[in-house]
Amino acid sequence: MPPDRRPLDDIIEDLLADSQYEGHPLRDALNRLWTQSRDHLNRLERIAHISDGYQKMAFDQTISLQQRYDRELRRLEKAVRISDRYQDMMRELNNALQDASTRDHLTGLANRRMLVDQLKMETQRAERQGHSYTLAMLDVDHFKQVNDLYGHDLGDRALIEVAGAMQRALREYDLCGRWGGEEFLILLPQTSIGAACSVIERVRESLQRKPMPGEAPGTGIKITASIGLAEHQPGEGFSDTVNRADEALLEAKRAGRDCYRLA
Amino acid sequence: MTEEATMIIDDLCIPGTQSTPDIRTDGAAGRIFMQGDSYPENTLELFGPVISWVERYLETGDRPLTLELRLIYLNTSSIKAMMDIFDLLEVAHGKSRIVAVTWYYDSRNERVAELAGEFREDCSFPFDIQPRND
Repeated sequence: MPPDRRPLDDIIEDLLADSQYEGHPLRDALNRLWTQSRDHLNRLERIAHISDGYQKMAFDQTISLQQRYDRELRRLEKAVRISDRYQDMMRELNNALQDASTRDHLTGLANRRMLVDQLKMETQRAERQGHSYTLAMLDVDHFKQVNDLYGHDLGDRALIEVAGAMQRALREYDLCGRWGGEEFLILLPQTSIGAACSVIERVRESLQRKPMPGEAPGTGIKITASIGLAEHQPGEGFSDTVNRADEALLEAKRAGRDCYRLA
Repeated sequence: MTEEATMIIDDLCIPGTQSTPDIRTDGAAGRIFMQGDSYPENTLELFGPVISWVERYLETGDRPLTLELRLIYLNTSSIKAMMDIFDLLEVAHGKSRIVAVTWYYDSRNERVAELAGEFREDCSFPFDIQPRND
């Protein structure tokens, strides 16, 4: 008889179903082995099924966690991006406010607040380090007449020109600002009144060289200034130094303007 | 749900401070209003009730919800809170609820408009950014 090539399952099923083996002790043993084997198989399948289920659940969970993580990450990145831009906005605003609170709107020079801050600092430094500074108070001559004769627009332009002329003549570490109206204050750090004179001469030259804008040839407005200088004295408050520079300025005015006097 | 059901939600009226915005809800009109700067010490305390209000409003009824915003500065956690609110609107919009945002900004400060634009990026519901001159 040729060997049976059918699947083992079918062969066993047929053998067990065949009535001619009924009562045979081998049939009974085979039947029990067969049932046991089926049981094992069933249990194995169930275990595999449950295990697969767990694996799928864990897998789904990982996917959903990953998705949630990715989503949160994107949200966070977006929040950070927006936050950075808010910070940029605040910094710009801060700079603009800083500028507005320390600069004179018309001339772009330091305003009185910034001048006072610098005067305080420079006075402290002078006391600490034992050297002095010099102040120059500058007043545009006959400014009221310029305004009255040519209008406030030209008056404003004259002030801008004076500011420019001063800045060109000053050294890098000097500070000039608008003290008020047509009055400017120049702070010359670590400078004696003698050394300050040559700087002030340069300022006057710079003013003379600069023609007023818009003037017709030959009928130009000549802008001049009177200046009073005072050197900070040890133990003196900055306002006293400012007052002495103011008095020297008055003297320059009394002396016929377009000149400077020392306190 | 009946209209009455939506009316039950208590409205919020949180007066603004220097560091927190003015927040008002009007359930009857389907409106939320927020104005000012937002950098609160405790963001959850401030925005928690607002987010809950939006959730409850959107869960009940089918009436529209519009947000009128005049927010200027937002700190990072306030930004996250606003994103949460916009997310809720986005989900509702996906379920065909009518929701809309109008963000007003001072025309002198274009930066606020750009920032509102960043928020708008992920939103598919109507989201207007309007200049104001006051």
